[in-house]
Amino acid sequence: MKDDMEEKVDQLVNYIMKNCLWQFNSRAWDRENQNEGILKRTMQVLCDEPVEKDTPAGKYYWAEAVYLARLYKSEFKWINDMSKEEIKVLIKKLKEKIDYLTISGSLNEELKNPLY
Amino acid sequence: MACVVKEKERAGIINPIFTCQPAGAQYVSIGIKDCIGLVHGGQGCCMFVRLIFSQHFKESFELASSSLHEDAAVFGGLNRVEQGVDVLLMRYPNLKVIPVISTCSTEIIGDDIDGVITNLNDGLLKEKYPGREVHLVPIHTPSFVGSMVSGYDIAVESFVRAFAKKDKPNGKINLITGWVNPGDVRELKHILKEMDIDATVLFEIEKFDAPLMPKEQAQPHGETTIDDLTGTANAIGTIALNKYEGGKAAEYLEDTFDVPAVIGPSPIGIRNTDLFLKKLSQMTGKPIPKSLAYERGVALDALTDLTHMFFADKKVAIFGNPDLVISLAEFCIDLEMKPVLLLLGDDNRSYKNDPRITQLQEKVDFDMDIILNADLFELEDRIKKGLKLDLIMGHSKGRFVAMDNKIPMLRVGFPVFDRAGYYRHPRVGYNGAVWLAEEMANVMFNDMEYKRNKEWLLAMW
Amino acid sequence: MPYHLFKVSECIPEREKHVVEKGKDEEITDALPLGYLNTIPGTLSERGCVYCGAKHVIGTPMKDVIHMSHGPIGCTYDTWQTKRYISDNDNFQIKYTFATDVKESNVIFGANELLKDNIIAAFKAFPEIKRLTIYQTCGTALIGDDLESIAKEVMDEMPEVDIFVCNAPGFAGPSQSGGHHKINIAWVENKVGTHEPKITSDYTINYVGEYNIQGDQEVMQDYFKRMGIQIISTFTGNGSYDDLRGMHRAKLNVLECARSAEYICNELRKRYGIPRMDIDGFGFKPLSDSLRKIGIFFGIEERAEAIVKEETARWKPELDWYKERLKGKRVCLWPGGSKLWHWAHVIHEEMGVEVVSVYTKFGHQGDMEKGISRCDCEGALAIDDPNELESLEAMETLKPDVIFTGKRPGEYAKKIGVPYINAHAYHNGPYKGFEGWVRFARDIYNAIYSPVHELSFVDITKDEITEENSFVTRRMKSDINLSKEIVDSTSIREYTGNFDCVSHLREKSYPYLEEQIEKHKQMAE
Repeated sequence: MKDDMEEKVDQLVNYIMKNCLWQFNSRAWDRENQNEGILKRTMQVLCDEPVEKDTPAGKYYWAEAVYLARLYKSEFKWINDMSKEEIKVLIKKLKEKIDYLTISGSLNEELKNPLY
Repeated sequence: MACVVKEKERAGIINPIFTCQPAGAQYVSIGIKDCIGLVHGGQGCCMFVRLIFSQHFKESFELASSSLHEDAAVFGGLNRVEQGVDVLLMRYPNLKVIPVISTCSTEIIGDDIDGVITNLNDGLLKEKYPGREVHLVPIHTPSFVGSMVSGYDIAVESFVRAFAKKDKPNGKINLITGWVNPGDVRELKHILKEMDIDATVLFEIEKFDAPLMPKEQAQPHGETTIDDLTGTANAIGTIALNKYEGGKAAEYLEDTFDVPAVIGPSPIGIRNTDLFLKKLSQMTGKPIPKSLAYERGVALDALTDLTHMFFADKKVAIFGNPDLVISLAEFCIDLEMKPVLLLLGDDNRSYKNDPRITQLQEKVDFDMDIILNADLFELEDRIKKGLKLDLIMGHSKGRFVAMDNKIPMLRVGFPVFDRAGYYRHPRVGYNGAVWLAEEMANVMFNDMEYKRNKEWLLAMW
Repeated sequence: MPYHLFKVSECIPEREKHVVEKGKDEEITDALPLGYLNTIPGTLSERGCVYCGAKHVIGTPMKDVIHMSHGPIGCTYDTWQTKRYISDNDNFQIKYTFATDVKESNVIFGANELLKDNIIAAFKAFPEIKRLTIYQTCGTALIGDDLESIAKEVMDEMPEVDIFVCNAPGFAGPSQSGGHHKINIAWVENKVGTHEPKITSDYTINYVGEYNIQGDQEVMQDYFKRMGIQIISTFTGNGSYDDLRGMHRAKLNVLECARSAEYICNELRKRYGIPRMDIDGFGFKPLSDSLRKIGIFFGIEERAEAIVKEETARWKPELDWYKERLKGKRVCLWPGGSKLWHWAHVIHEEMGVEVVSVYTKFGHQGDMEKGISRCDCEGALAIDDPNELESLEAMETLKPDVIFTGKRPGEYAKKIGVPYINAHAYHNGPYKGFEGWVRFARDIYNAIYSPVHELSFVDITKDEITEENSFVTRRMKSDINLSKEIVDSTSIREYTGNFDCVSHLREKSYPYLEEQIEKHKQMAE
């Protein structure tokens, strides 16, 4: 049996895998940047923390994060009842799972190709 | 008032009339039963030709590629042929004939397809497929020589060369149709039946027009068999309807097996069909029956309704396969039209000496240009520079010239992808003559209506 | 077993690793088909060549260019007029195709001079066109012609012209995908940054990986323009050569078909710091999400929201009419590359169909990661580099109601009683945009419920020939199992758009965009 937190992480993972494309850049280093850049900001948005968006990349990650956070709050109402600390744990676990699915556990043999 | 034959002056090709040789070889391959051609080259040489066939026939035909990749370009690709043959034989248990069709890339890298076929015959086929009837046929069709027309010619000869074997006379004639449609084959078989002539039709492609059936899969395929091809050496004679699409094979049979060859003319139009019947009769001793005379009468009756009222002096441009273009031009002249421009889309030097072309040069009494190595921009450019046309005849790739210049166009030849079911109707024989003339008329009638160009001629008799 | 070996491919067991059956609770980390590997010869694979990936898929949709293939006539002829990439300049790129017509003597003595004569003749034939692309083919790659130096020579002699060289011969990779890659890299290396675009809006994007199939680009362009966004370039459908030389000035790359064009987005991100946003132009929710995200990025989200609201109100009732009638229908989603993931989830969500198989002719493993993740049906077969016998076996076992694939495979599916929708060029598209998505649903509905299709299953020699109906409508078939409430519903309706839903967009005016143009004009003064 999965515990409650795992269930919740699964729901968030599933949403990303069904609806988003940013987690599937073609190379491992880009996937790391995308997952980190977007999910960190998603956490910051959900926790009402200041978000770095001054660089073009930061601004892009922020746009994805704002939108993801909004959808999470409307699709998964339980997230609105969570404390900031709980949200941080939740997103940390979410990122671990997404990193596993798209990077460390990925069977995609092109991820390590040094060129685009 | 003269007919001038000349080469296109501009360098290069803008909007080609033909594709390259391997396409012709592939068209021949699909006409043979239990045969899948293996195109030795990049995947596109096969995949896009299959697409054009499917655009034209609204059917899918089986053709395979050796899938030449980078390593083969460096080290040679014969191992791809070996593997391709093996994979085909393993997965298609009824497969008997595999032509290996070369392309520009594999001719340039110098892959010896004859050698690899010898190796396969002595090795793989003996060891892995003993007792199975398999024929590997080399077909050399480098894309930088000739065009799809010569590719067709080479492929017919390659098949005949590979299979024809002297035996007892079979009492049949060989009828090599050239690059035609299922509707033409049906019409030719109808004529043969009316004349009570037993013939080997190369290639028997009537079933390219395949049905949709409730239970059995009715994938389209050719029906010319190995026995048909073997027996070509034992025929009374060969009639190759098109000089440039099957003429070589007819000559080969004559030279090697003393099978008399009659080459051309394509039985398009009344006179050419008359001539075809005469040759059939001469070759077989069978008389021309009343039934065909009746059909001829029906055709002439239909043509008479159109010629001096609508066709007379109408200016026509025709592009496409040479035998088709020349015969259509001859038919147009009989219909009182003026084929002022003929476009032949490759650099075949022998066109200039073709007796049909010399006859046009000697006898036409209006201005006519025959352009060799032509492209479709030649047609467009001449229209832009003032050439007045009432009708264009050719295949669908030339559709924009007609559309942009608002000239009615009858789709004839290959490919026709922008009209429904044209492959089903004949261009040859008396019935073909009727179809051609009436469709010419109908596209011109449509145009009269759209342009309000004396359209009342059509309404009030 | 997650990997699947078709019976017809038991003799080529290496095919097993190319096919995965999506198992319960299995993830893409458990099994993933191999991809982008050399094709097995003789399999009747559906793949094209590298040349066609470069020239036909990506190069030719550029609309104001002479596209010249350096080689024999076949490569150009065979790809010419086989795909519906239209443009708003009367389809110059479809109407004209150029071949240097390489012959045997050129193969022996080289074809450099021939190429030069051809380029000059082509510019002379079309004096208003000043841009030209040259595509290498198998033959000219093997004889070693130096296309770059010829292009440079001509540009030195004719300073008003610009020429792009693409060295992507047919054999140079496993499939057309190799050509996508080569032309992406060649363009960013040689052409991006050589032209300065005029900036007329604060909001600038490149719209990348979009080929204007039946007007897709023009539909999406309409939304962007309604938001006041300047599209600096479209790579490449309905795109202009010089605009594409100015890609480096956009603030955001909006990427649609990542399969064919992610390379250039990645390079633009690395070289010019332009972020890459992957979007979906297909489906109401994915498209709405995409427009809103672009809106958030530029701080103009309310404009996106207004479009979503207006378009949804107009078209959702029509989408839902089809959804009620397509629910549970089994489809094989068998496109070339990107549509397997663009469509896999959203056709299930928004049209109610079950995707029982996905395949990709030229995709990479990344496309399978996306496609399998997005596919909702347990047991779905994911197939890399499918071939004809495998496709037939899959249709026999999966019994789809319809397949989405190319024209030619569609023809053999027809013979076993399965209708097809053209996934590459569309039946009656465009399929992007809100209205386009309804057109797609409409086309699927028309295919599945075709009364003629039903007749093909009757064997008149044995079966009962019905006297009940002298005709059958699609609704007589589709509505038979629907509740009265749905059948009589007035809140949903059939498609009400026009046959041509694109041409009118070319006449529209865009207040937000004009406001921006005015603002930038004043800034310049």
